[in-house]
Amino acid sequence: MLRYVGERLLQAMIAIFGVLTIVFIVMHLSGDPTLLLVPQGASAEMIADLRRELGFDRPLWVQYVGYLNDLIHLDFGESVVQRVPAIDIVASRLPYTIQLAAGALTVAIGVGIPAGILMATRRGGWLDRVLTAVVVTGQSVPTFLSAILLIFVFAVTLGWLPASGIGGLSNLVMPSIALGALSMSTFARMTRISVADELSKDYVRAARARGLPMPKIIVRHVLRNASIPVISIAALEIGNLLAGAVIIETVFAWPGIGQLAIQSIQARDFLIVQVIVLLISFVYVITAVLADFIYAIVDPRIRLAR
Amino acid sequence: MTAVRTTLTALAFALLASTALAQSAKTTLTIDLPNEPATLDPHLQWNTDSYSVYRNIFDNLLTRDVSGEIVGQIATEWTYLDDTTIEFKIRDDVSFQDGTKLTAEDVAYSILRIIDPALKSPQLSQFNQIDTAVATDATTVKMTTKSPYPALLAQLVKLSIVPKAYMEKVGAQEFNVKPIGSGPYALGEWQKGVQTELKANDGYWRAKPPFETVVFRAVPDVSTRIADLKTGKADLIRDLSPDQTDSIKETENTKVLSVATERVGYMYINAQAGPTTDVRVRQAIAYAIDRSALIEALLQGYGAQVNIIGAPPVFGYTDEVAGYDYDPDKARELIKEAGAEGAKLEFLTSPSYSRALVEAIQQMLNDVGFDVSISASDQATFLKRRQGNPENAGSLAFGAWSCACQDADGIIFPLFRSGSQWAKYANPDYDALVDSARSTLDKDQRMADYKKAYEILREDVPGLGLYQAFAVYGANAKLNWEPTANESMFIMDMSWQQ
Repeated sequence: MLRYVGERLLQAMIAIFGVLTIVFIVMHLSGDPTLLLVPQGASAEMIADLRRELGFDRPLWVQYVGYLNDLIHLDFGESVVQRVPAIDIVASRLPYTIQLAAGALTVAIGVGIPAGILMATRRGGWLDRVLTAVVVTGQSVPTFLSAILLIFVFAVTLGWLPASGIGGLSNLVMPSIALGALSMSTFARMTRISVADELSKDYVRAARARGLPMPKIIVRHVLRNASIPVISIAALEIGNLLAGAVIIETVFAWPGIGQLAIQSIQARDFLIVQVIVLLISFVYVITAVLADFIYAIVDPRIRLAR
Repeated sequence: MTAVRTTLTALAFALLASTALAQSAKTTLTIDLPNEPATLDPHLQWNTDSYSVYRNIFDNLLTRDVSGEIVGQIATEWTYLDDTTIEFKIRDDVSFQDGTKLTAEDVAYSILRIIDPALKSPQLSQFNQIDTAVATDATTVKMTTKSPYPALLAQLVKLSIVPKAYMEKVGAQEFNVKPIGSGPYALGEWQKGVQTELKANDGYWRAKPPFETVVFRAVPDVSTRIADLKTGKADLIRDLSPDQTDSIKETENTKVLSVATERVGYMYINAQAGPTTDVRVRQAIAYAIDRSALIEALLQGYGAQVNIIGAPPVFGYTDEVAGYDYDPDKARELIKEAGAEGAKLEFLTSPSYSRALVEAIQQMLNDVGFDVSISASDQATFLKRRQGNPENAGSLAFGAWSCACQDADGIIFPLFRSGSQWAKYANPDYDALVDSARSTLDKDQRMADYKKAYEILREDVPGLGLYQAFAVYGANAKLNWEPTANESMFIMDMSWQQ
């Protein structure tokens, strides 16, 4: 098991290194922030001077080696726009993204899994049809649209919830629903398929023959077997939530790292972008490894095979 | 039982009274900006979302009054000792928010700090004509420029005064997070990415600030800013496009505030590469664009027609230079003469500019026989191409120019003087005129130079003035505020209607 984890982590390091290199090259090839920083009338010499002061006039590979060297020493550099260490800026935004991801995941799992179970057990019934409609809607309405619709209905028209920003739990409701909707649909569909699949197996028939009540069979036996594919989806969904957060955080003025990423890319604030990329790659890798762990706990067959 | 009832009644009254009190005096003003300030150090970033906030924390050496005239703020008077030396008298009744007195030393320090290349200030180009500054006594600062520099005062309107002693004690990085100025508001709390809260500086020397607390929130999406305004979460929002104003006008407790600014919407036309090297093609483009249609249909009246690349609040602006009337037949004629039928023109743009406007212009040009294609890229790439060599700079681009200095020197000098990275045009006669206008303090001479320069631009059409841009804000109906031509946002100018 330990060796397996070690291998996975090594692979992850290589993947993260690759991602960083690609992001570094792509961002630097499309220009540096100097032009965005100066006032419109700045002369060419002034721009050249500032570019030299900021170090963007050096050959790309020199900047790259310098960047990697700093990284090895855990120096993530300073934002050229804000003149504050990049790691501090990202760290100050991270809690908001975690809050939002937790809220969205609660919506996704809390609604998606029960809905999936109901759909599987009431296959073909009216409840299945209604829930299918909800799931398809959650899946097909783009987040930027559902976000604006939610604001229009619940903030502007009804006045129940605040339109933007952070604060109490009420601020978290709309962003979580908008962000969680897609994942909710994925969970519901996956749960429906795997539960339905398990329900048709012999052990269920045997349990029923023994006279066990249906809810007990589902909770004790079916769900356990149906959970493997759902767990791997969950690991992927955390990555998707981070990606979806970019749009949701912008619409709801939610100060997380998604919004920060967009602003930093537009401003060519390279070092912040690099820290965010590093962080998100890390999360992806960690969740994938964690999912493997959880498989092993849930399913002894996987544990024993190693 | 009675006692309980009395207590309850008293409580209810107390509650009513407190809400009534809260209604009678507005204590917190909330402003939605598209982004948070990049820095609160006024000598670093110069962008609207940053200076909208930090200009309320600091006083400037000079400022503009309601009519746009340059008047003193920290300076009381100034005299030119010769063409390159100017002496400022400094107020002696101003204190910083930490209680220390503002002196001529702080003013001299602020100037020397911003012109020091080691600060890497993006604003350096606005002040680099200043050679040095020295405090000759507690209330006098002597400043020298490298050459006679007529736009000096207009640039100094943007110079904020920082406390020398505090800055030297805490260093630039700490100052950026905990700035201290002499302005009407002090920084309360800067919640990174969320909001910047300012607290009134009650001892402010000009007057008592109108609101106890001012909160600047960062709300990137314009629909969300509008929703905030309508739900009362925000009292003032910035950066609206004209088509979004209707819904604000229709809502009962909100209104639209707008003002004609010094910003000018213009077309750049590449005179050094591609089909547009032929002056007849450039003139045809000028004839083909229906400026009044752009203003009425796309800007919904939030714009005023101009004949030149300049606007009335700008020194050097003249309405005596004729414009190009909308005349598509004349345009077709010129195109035929130049043999440029179906000429392919690349129109550069970025998300910073209205897509509708760019497409409308594309349509107008295609109507007279050009083949215009739009190349959209992000702002950094757009600037790189637009400022790069002429061969790669496209044929056309739309722009909205403001130097925030209200002087033609900040507009047509960088745009068209040969050697400037923006210019895809060279004309020695033009260069001589704008050079002359930037090196004399004689206002009449400068006006005459600019008039001639604008006439040359009219003939050569390396660019075309389209309209004077309006700044458009959404506000709560109770907010009294007259926005200014230089797009500043001074809380001191605002008040709340009871």
